[in-house]
Amino acid sequence: MPVVELNLNRIKKLISGNVTKKRIVDTLPFLGLDIESQVNDQIRIEYSPNRPDYSTDFGIALGLQGLLGIKKGIQKTNIKKQGNYEIKVDQSVSKIRPFVTGIIAKNGIIDDETIKQLMNMQEDLHFGIGRKRKKSSIGLHDLDKISFPLTYTTSTRSHSFIPLNTESENTIDQILSETEVGRDYGWILGDSKNVPIIVDAEGKTISFPPIINASVTTVTTKTTNLLVEVTSLDKDAAEDMLSVVVAILQIAGFDIVQLTVSGKKNGTPKLNSRTIQYSPKLTEQTIGLSLNQSTTISSLKKCRLDATQKGRNIQCVIPRYRFDIFGSMDIVEEIALGYGIDNIEPKLSPSQTLGEKSSMTKKLDRISKTVIGFGFTEALNSSLTSKKILFDLTNRDSSEMLSVLDSKSQEHTILRDSILPGLLENLSKNIHEPYPQKLFETGTVFSKSKPISETINLAGIIAHKESNYSETKSILQAILRTGFQIDTKTITSEDNVSMFANGRYADVFVGKKLIGNIGEFNSDVLDNFKIRTSITGFEIKLSGLIFD
Amino acid sequence: MSQVLHDIEKKIIESLQNKSQQTPEQLCESAELSIDQIRRGIEWLRLKEFAEVKESSKVEISLGSNGIDAFQNGLPERKLMDLIKNEPKTFDEIRNVLSGAGFNAAIANAKKNGWIKIDKTESGSTVSIKEKSIETPEEKLISFIGEKSIPEEQIENKLALKFLLQRPNYIIQNIEKLKTISLTDKASKIDSTISDSGAIDVEADVPAVFAARTHPLKDTIDEIREIFVKLGFSEISGTLTQSSFWNFDALFTPQDHPARELQDTFYLENLKSEKPATPKQIKQVSKAHSENWKYKWQLSESQRMVLRTHTTCVTIKYLAEKKPDEARVFSLGRVFRNEKVSYKHLVEFNQIEGIVIGDNTTLRDLMGIQKEFYKQLGLTKIKFWPTFFPYTEPSLQTMVYNEKLGKWVELFGMGIFRPEVTRPLGITKPVLAWGGGIERIAMLKYDLNDVREFYNNNLNWLRTV
Repeated sequence: MPVVELNLNRIKKLISGNVTKKRIVDTLPFLGLDIESQVNDQIRIEYSPNRPDYSTDFGIALGLQGLLGIKKGIQKTNIKKQGNYEIKVDQSVSKIRPFVTGIIAKNGIIDDETIKQLMNMQEDLHFGIGRKRKKSSIGLHDLDKISFPLTYTTSTRSHSFIPLNTESENTIDQILSETEVGRDYGWILGDSKNVPIIVDAEGKTISFPPIINASVTTVTTKTTNLLVEVTSLDKDAAEDMLSVVVAILQIAGFDIVQLTVSGKKNGTPKLNSRTIQYSPKLTEQTIGLSLNQSTTISSLKKCRLDATQKGRNIQCVIPRYRFDIFGSMDIVEEIALGYGIDNIEPKLSPSQTLGEKSSMTKKLDRISKTVIGFGFTEALNSSLTSKKILFDLTNRDSSEMLSVLDSKSQEHTILRDSILPGLLENLSKNIHEPYPQKLFETGTVFSKSKPISETINLAGIIAHKESNYSETKSILQAILRTGFQIDTKTITSEDNVSMFANGRYADVFVGKKLIGNIGEFNSDVLDNFKIRTSITGFEIKLSGLIFD
Repeated sequence: MSQVLHDIEKKIIESLQNKSQQTPEQLCESAELSIDQIRRGIEWLRLKEFAEVKESSKVEISLGSNGIDAFQNGLPERKLMDLIKNEPKTFDEIRNVLSGAGFNAAIANAKKNGWIKIDKTESGSTVSIKEKSIETPEEKLISFIGEKSIPEEQIENKLALKFLLQRPNYIIQNIEKLKTISLTDKASKIDSTISDSGAIDVEADVPAVFAARTHPLKDTIDEIREIFVKLGFSEISGTLTQSSFWNFDALFTPQDHPARELQDTFYLENLKSEKPATPKQIKQVSKAHSENWKYKWQLSESQRMVLRTHTTCVTIKYLAEKKPDEARVFSLGRVFRNEKVSYKHLVEFNQIEGIVIGDNTTLRDLMGIQKEFYKQLGLTKIKFWPTFFPYTEPSLQTMVYNEKLGKWVELFGMGIFRPEVTRPLGITKPVLAWGGGIERIAMLKYDLNDVREFYNNNLNWLRTV
């Protein structure tokens, strides 16, 4: 989950109401924000990726104002038409990154903390709704360093300019191969000969989306006017991202001015709000509360939406940046939040149904009880384990192994096809504990099929000086006889089971059905696990035997 | 230590006080106990350091089958000498009497002793007496042993014994292990006539043994399962490997969502599900994605096999297949996340999820079930916070107050399935869903700070927790 840092004094100023810091901290969770840590006035907050407007303290302040009742209803997006700001789209971008949109933000005050917040916003937008910049990416520029009109066009890879945080000119190729952002995001552009750039009226390159801005338009604490540009593979996605930035800059105190966008399929962003007709019946059906119209309207306004009564229905106005709202069900949630989750009384209705464990669970319980009766202690191992334990240490054949892609943990890369190797590993970690040691486990094992088959197995393992085949066979037969009346036979195996000692293992059959095997582990395997006592084990398939 | 002695111990001590060194067999007679009682008593006395056991071995010598024959009829070389006593005999004539190995042994040994000479004639070799044959040491030994069994140390001529041992089946060596019991100093002073009949040393340490048992995490899982059943839920189950369709697409998670990336989810190498769902389900789900998320939905992406990241795929599949008007079901099992393993994160853990479809399916009902569930677990200080899941709306999470940490901790998540999830699958009624990780609850219960503990299978912990 993305994270944002808040300073309580700054938040207090931003919401400009008379509330205590404690009240603010207590209210944050009811916006859906998780407090990760708090050190004095500095709070780290996790927010849900569906609410990118919470990527700055400005957005969070907007939400807090609503829930605290300081300012309710929608924050209107007021785009002024003044000046002559335009960006023209050249045809050549259509096959690489076809859409651009943007806005002008004027007369703001940018301090160090604001720069930090805007940087955090940019990061999170890139990662989340920008899908790591592939879908959309954003650039913030110092407006006063730019002459209009701008052109969104393409250049060759030998084109050069001075990128952000650099002193000298770099070619596109250099940026892609020598800078960190170039290496991280260059793949988005594929191997196309030309790359997208934004140039101003004087021919200065101001941005090389989605990689890096030019140094010339760097935003500093001296900046008061901004150009925001968003490039994207999708027009709606571009405007989604832009709308979040506009909402945030507006709270930050900027005046919003239109940037005209012209060119094929592109257009000037309007960022209009939309309306949803809401039937209050749904509140009762979904939350279980019967709220009157005015409470409903006030609850919605507390969530910074607008709402008016329209006959029996309520007309909700949704600002452009709330693209997480799809339909009526989302409105229900807003009502619940605005009403206050704390104010909703839980209700326990009697169940109309009788509950029951699955028959598999019941039978596994029975098996466990019997096996424990024979003195086995239950072990639990991961079903995603390693090649080393599953195959290398047990000398088993790994040709049919099932791997996962890109595991972050070396101990968890292969799905187990057998439980016994894990139990051997458990014994090897307990050699200092008193013997005899008897372990068992029931769990899922996997094998290749179309595409994959899963069965539930039971495995047991006995370790002590005199552990032997006959003892274990007696136990295995008794387990299935007790409670399941199943008779098992052991038949000399035709396969070479390489973890068992020669002549001391067998296939286990029920009637004509092969259900598993049993044997004494050979000294090679015991050496591999550094075990210095005799071990016998068995593993049988329960699926298809005592349940489906 | 209180010196309480068992009757058996007393009898043994008394007997040994009379005669200091005895074998267990001798003690049987002198103490008038069975051999089992003697063995047990000796072991107890040894542990109490009242008795010492010395082990030695004794070798008994007796004659084997050839030895017996030699005792009765003489060694083969003696038989030969008897045969040629009067006149020389040819090999063939001798063979008629001394057959097989006896012939070779007779000729070889008689020759070695210098008793005979062999002449080669036209009718074959003939054997005649060269010198008078006196009784050899081997013959003396055979007569000495006779049909008896004699302790090895009584045999003086070790060389003769060695020669006979080299000849097959002449000598049998019987090795017997011997235990000799004697009292230690402190035991020789015990007055065993004081009566404390039948008592044992009840304060003595005994070996530790351990009861076999279920895994502690399994106990928590069972406890939670029981609560679900008590609340009227029935258990359903599903596979751990799932197509992306059921794990993600059916749950309205867009195909380019970060949660679907390799770095969060385990994809199975080279495996795909040819037909993850019915053509109608695929069509409807695809439409819900394209219309709401505004992108081009790909079948191939939904066919990729994953290790399920939650149990919700099992419940949604159940709903899509059965379309019940009313049901309370739950599924429980392992789920997987591609995370770095740490004290608070596992790659594989257990999750439970319950759903309610039918009447009484409002958020308040959902909150009521949660409250009751936690009450059953003994957790009464709870509250609800809003949260976000891609497939439920509204969504809440339960916060439980942890007295030890002095703060609210997040437990189960819950919500009502979005219409974008249910409608494409033909589910018309609202569905309440809730669930979460079980290890987290078990950690509270067993007071653990490291979740990995559950899967270490440390026997000491399993046996004693």
